[in-house]
Amino acid sequence: MNGYVEAGYVVVLGTLGTYGVALAARERVARRRLGTASSAAPTGTSAKADFPAQAGEASAVEHRAVEETEPGSGP
Amino acid sequence: MLRDAVLVAGKDLRIEIRSRVGLNQIGPFAIAVLLLFGLALGPDRRVLAPASAGLFWVAVLLSTLLAVQRSYAIESADAARDGLRLSGLDPAGIFLGKASAVAAQLLVLEAGLTVGVTLLYGAHLSGALVLVAACAAGTLGLAAVGTLYGVVASGLRTRETLLPLLFLPVVAPVLLAATKAWDAALAGTPSHAGGWLDVLVVFAVLYIAIGTVAFGPLLEDG
Amino acid sequence: MSTPARVLPQDRPAALRVLGATALVGVVATVWLGLFVTPPDQFMGNLVRLLYIHPPMAWVAFLAYGVATLASLLYLWPRTRAEHFDRLAGASAEVGVVFTGLTLVSGSIWGRPTWGAWWVWDPLLTTTALLFVLYLGYLALRRVPGEFHVRARRSAMAALIAFVDVPIVYFSVEWWRSLHQAPTVLNPTTHKTYVHGSMFWTLLLGFVSFTLVYIWLMAHRYRLARLQDLEDVEGLEVALEERRAEGDAG
Repeated sequence: MNGYVEAGYVVVLGTLGTYGVALAARERVARRRLGTASSAAPTGTSAKADFPAQAGEASAVEHRAVEETEPGSGP
Repeated sequence: MLRDAVLVAGKDLRIEIRSRVGLNQIGPFAIAVLLLFGLALGPDRRVLAPASAGLFWVAVLLSTLLAVQRSYAIESADAARDGLRLSGLDPAGIFLGKASAVAAQLLVLEAGLTVGVTLLYGAHLSGALVLVAACAAGTLGLAAVGTLYGVVASGLRTRETLLPLLFLPVVAPVLLAATKAWDAALAGTPSHAGGWLDVLVVFAVLYIAIGTVAFGPLLEDG
Repeated sequence: MSTPARVLPQDRPAALRVLGATALVGVVATVWLGLFVTPPDQFMGNLVRLLYIHPPMAWVAFLAYGVATLASLLYLWPRTRAEHFDRLAGASAEVGVVFTGLTLVSGSIWGRPTWGAWWVWDPLLTTTALLFVLYLGYLALRRVPGEFHVRARRSAMAALIAFVDVPIVYFSVEWWRSLHQAPTVLNPTTHKTYVHGSMFWTLLLGFVSFTLVYIWLMAHRYRLARLQDLEDVEGLEVALEERRAEGDAG
């Protein structure tokens, strides 16, 4: 064989592998940060905890909008 | 819708005539680009003259970026954009108005650039009808895409760098088709330009149509 | 209640793991068949082995852009508007850009010994290069921070504006080239007609395997986007809590 074929395979497989590993790693980091953030965050002190757990992200976003418009939450 | 378009176009053009930013900045910029091309390719007219169509259109493309940025810069001061949004004007009309104001300025600029390529590059003008038709259709397409991406990018912090990145790849067909039409005309075979003019017309119609539909929601978002 | 109001995406669901393993096995098999089992071509010799990776890259790139466009349309359509379509569009476009880059690089590596140049202004290649920058612009626009739905709608529209351009670009570039030179240069793609036997099956396996790789990558990119969105919301809530605590103390 000649160098071109090997180079092509190495570049393609190497890039895809690196991208995949990077994605998995970033996902793990994000998950860990979310996990620690939720345990460190004060829980049970606000209305947020009253949402059922399975309400999921949609309600979280709605909830965020509510809090943003809530008077007196600013400095 | 058309009345709103005339209103907005009149407003934008009046601002341009009074502020003379187009005349004092975009025009000289285009001339500078022409001079730089000349320096890059060397003084040989046998090189420059055949390339003049392409160089002309690249200069137009770059100037379009400036014209579009200017078109939205005048809306960013004093929250004029909110005024525009709340004016009750038809968004499609606003789009058509802003796009035609940009197109009008570009057409003036193109007239100047035509003189420029004739003088500097020794381009031999011929097939005037094709030249004018390509300018008209190409400029409408450029102005439509520019205005559309202008509103997408306006209000974002990175708009100056984002707009060229979004705009230039999309208008690649305009550069290609307009250059080919001009090449045909300048080479004295304007009949070869027919298909390329069609490409320019299709592009312009398509993006004007998209703009009239999509401009409203995009203006709301900014 | 101490459980926060959110559901993290499941940590590596079984389906995704099976998909990933299948994709990996498929790619390994493709590489093995492509490099060692299939015969060299009578014209191109061993260079033909690039056939098993280059066209699948291009296919996945176009598939990814198709998915991104479809997801953008579904997001813009009021009846089907949902956050996951925006994330799907973003994830698919990003993976598409990676595969487009690989299409260009592998095509270039193939072109050097075949055409004698790293780059020729072949219509398909030129269109692919323009697509690459077109979608890099789209990804840059997506990265501009902002309120979720504003950003999502803006991105979806930009995706459609860009996608409409693709056929015009392809048509005009092809026409532009065909006027310049006879399109009968030694073109790797014309060799597809001579693909037969083990070559055909290897190529087919390549297409399937890399499509699976695309789905796996996109799924993970999607999950990452979801986690990041959750993080944004959560960060805001934490900040609000802190503000409120300050307010109580002061």
